[in-house]
Amino acid sequence: MGGDPMMAFFRLGLLYLVFATVMYFLLTVYFRSLRREALEKEWDGDPAREGASAAEREAFIEAGVAEWKHSFRRRLIWLVYVIPVLIIGVVIYYVNW
Amino acid sequence: MARYFRILKWVILSLMALTLVAFFHYVLPQHDVVRITDTSTQRIDMGENSLFWAAADLGTDATQTTRDVKFIATIQPNGKPMVYRNEDTGWIWPPYFKFDSYNVQAEASDLKSTAEAPKWVMITHYGWRNEWFTIFPNAVSVKAVEGPDVTVFPWVNIVILSGLLAILFMLWRMWAQFKERTIDPTIDAVDARADAMADSARGFGGRISAWLGTWRAKPRK
Repeated sequence: MGGDPMMAFFRLGLLYLVFATVMYFLLTVYFRSLRREALEKEWDGDPAREGASAAEREAFIEAGVAEWKHSFRRRLIWLVYVIPVLIIGVVIYYVNW
Repeated sequence: MARYFRILKWVILSLMALTLVAFFHYVLPQHDVVRITDTSTQRIDMGENSLFWAAADLGTDATQTTRDVKFIATIQPNGKPMVYRNEDTGWIWPPYFKFDSYNVQAEASDLKSTAEAPKWVMITHYGWRNEWFTIFPNAVSVKAVEGPDVTVFPWVNIVILSGLLAILFMLWRMWAQFKERTIDPTIDAVDARADAMADSARGFGGRISAWLGTWRAKPRK
């Protein structure tokens, strides 16, 4: 175990990057899946679309998912990179000052 | 036989739960009110107990096998002794990010008192004291308090544990969503194909598939 400050710091940084990236990926898959499910339910529950074809349904869902990709909510997933740094900052402040 | 497996399952589960509780009991911060009798620095040669010691101070040579550790000797309100080590955790485990051990030592030295005129001090620490393995809890901060009966509501621990539970809950939700949307439809598709194959094969093949059917899981509701 190193007392070398740069090594220990970089090891933590690397660990954080790996963890945050995995979480970012998983959360993106999860929220996209939730969005897709909601779109499917929206289409299936609408009586006006009763006779529409499967292709129309597919197009509606794909358009909704594409819209979600550029939404503010989706950008909030980036917070998994920000929040740990904030928490570490707060802990450093409270422990040392 | 099944009975022994059930017992074994419970033994393993209890051991896992116990390990988890011990882990958090070691790592989470706790507060003691004590009277500081002395502060000192001693050379320590870490051996089998090195897991329970922090690393060398940031910026110092970590390749040395021996180093000096700061200690805070105290007496508890019940008269029993408690000795704390005072080490930086730095960027390493556990994540206290403590860099000010020398300042903590200065504060602790300033708060020394005698049995006749006790000054009570609250020490925030993590870790355990164990005489057999020569391990000490690590003092994170010291603070003068009114008397020996002062207690602190464990806000920090509640926040940390709820945060971890929230992460666990989130992971479980993610798994449930993945199972519902990806795994189950795949299994259903495979089942449907197997059923279609069974329908097309009659006679001897049909009997085999009927026998296989008795092994298949009951349909989900």
